[in-house]
Amino acid sequence: MDEGQDQGAVRADPSLSARDPVLPFRAMSSGDAAAAIRQSPGGPSSLSLLRQGISEILSRRRLIRYLVQADMKKRGTDTVLGNLWWILDPLLQLIVYVIFVSIIARRPAPDYPLFIFAAIVPWKWFSSVITDATTCVVANEKLIRQIAFPKLVLPVSVTTAGVVGFLWGLIPLGGLMLLHADRISIMLVWFPVIAFVQFVFTLAMAVLISAANVFFRDLGNALGHLLRLWWFLSPGLYSLENLRSVQYVQDHPIVGDLFALNPFAVLFEAYRAVIYGFPDGAQPSAHPPDLLALGALLLASVVLLGFCITFFKRVEPEFAKVL
Amino acid sequence: MTSNYAIKAAELGVRYDLRFNRKTTVRTSVANFVLRRPPARFWALRQVSFELSHGESLAVIGPNGAGKSTLLQVLAGIMRPSEGTVDVRGNVSGLLGLGVGFDNELSGIENILLGGAFLGLEDATVQQILPSIVEFADLGEFIDAPLKTYSQGMRARLGFAIATAVDPDILLLDEVLATGDANFRAKSKARVIELVQAAKGVVLVTHDMEWVREYCNRAMLLEKGRVVLEGDPEEVVRLHLERTAAATAARNAEALAKGLDPAAFAGPRGGGAGRRRG
Repeated sequence: MDEGQDQGAVRADPSLSARDPVLPFRAMSSGDAAAAIRQSPGGPSSLSLLRQGISEILSRRRLIRYLVQADMKKRGTDTVLGNLWWILDPLLQLIVYVIFVSIIARRPAPDYPLFIFAAIVPWKWFSSVITDATTCVVANEKLIRQIAFPKLVLPVSVTTAGVVGFLWGLIPLGGLMLLHADRISIMLVWFPVIAFVQFVFTLAMAVLISAANVFFRDLGNALGHLLRLWWFLSPGLYSLENLRSVQYVQDHPIVGDLFALNPFAVLFEAYRAVIYGFPDGAQPSAHPPDLLALGALLLASVVLLGFCITFFKRVEPEFAKVL
Repeated sequence: MTSNYAIKAAELGVRYDLRFNRKTTVRTSVANFVLRRPPARFWALRQVSFELSHGESLAVIGPNGAGKSTLLQVLAGIMRPSEGTVDVRGNVSGLLGLGVGFDNELSGIENILLGGAFLGLEDATVQQILPSIVEFADLGEFIDAPLKTYSQGMRARLGFAIATAVDPDILLLDEVLATGDANFRAKSKARVIELVQAAKGVVLVTHDMEWVREYCNRAMLLEKGRVVLEGDPEEVVRLHLERTAAATAARNAEALAKGLDPAAFAGPRGGGAGRRRG
């Protein structure tokens, strides 16, 4: 609903009742905004859907905050080690990959744990958000059939909760960096910028997938495998440079270019540039990320987010029927 | 055109597209597409028109699966009509099913805050009504315990307390009069009567015919998504009871014909329309 709802909220009609206090009530559905939604067939234009979606997210910040807090609390209480899992999980993953790669690759990059950890932590953020987003609408089917509220808050809060998990993951990353203190540099100021680009991209995907899973419940099954494939096709365990030195890719440079188009190729290379730097550790090792690629990805992500919000808003009225 | 209505529905229809339901998978959709199966559709509501003026209380009655709950969902803005129009003037609050646990891990208090945020209440408002909700739910120390430790009855009490804590212009009630123990039932009935008297308009779904006769000044009988009769509660209730009795008699006769004992065959499946969910 648009701002009309907020205003409708505080509309307290003195003739309503003699009982007091008449509470300002921002309704489940009220006033013109709701009426517009319920007019149906045909439906509003894509642009107004997008505007609606954005104002819904902005006006329901408190709900999103509560949902994020509830999510945190749940993760903290469900398991014996609680929040410690946020730290342990990427570390265990790191150990698995280091052992795995040390066995099959004769000569992994120097300081290899840091080399891949710069990719593992961001990837963990993305993959856990996407996994949670898959079920976030479906899991709330009871609420959706009983209360009218903007369903967009669900994927948005899942994505926001993911940020908190990511921040936890930065603790072991920071620890590992301290072990390689010579690689730490001022270039880390780019880190939040790269994370922001990833946030926008992740949000777009979360919005899209949470809505799609309502209609195709087996999306979750396929998604686990797609995510794994995506991880191995992204330069996390290797760099784009490693890839380009492979004989086949040298013969077919187009393959290398296609790999570089992957959003996570851009992100991983950027994270690695500021955290790890050059493999040989030449001073100064860390360097600014490829700003052109990062800027292009940000632009593409914003456009994608717009499309995904519009798509979500378009299918949202069907949720209550399908669930 | 200054007619003073609270709700106006015109030629309302809600269609379920059975291509997409909770069991849809990519495989079945591809199969449907390849085999060019016609889309399976089902009208939960069709050509429902009515107008509710301020101060009126409308009862919606009918057998299971008649579309009563769907009608309330449309009025609450949860569902969009597939055809026709609905105009609802004013703030709507609905009790569409109780026991809405918002989050199992959170305490009763936290659930009230979360519920208020879901309902779109201002933070100040929630803080203001919090004590009255706690008092009404009457859960003692459990109010600080996680929702997962609650019994069904306690959940229902909390849900009822949250949903009725606000004074809406238009109140939608779905079978809410039969929850909790006798004590709470009396209390909730009193609260509903209070809300009904304060609200500008009430639409309620119930199987309690006494309630309809006593508190509603209009009634609507729905069957298979269509309005059978709308008007004076006495008349509508009488027609509903007649039709129910006739349907039961027919079913019993059918069961007898098959050599079954109707008394043992107690599944109330009266007139349900197709594959309605929920």
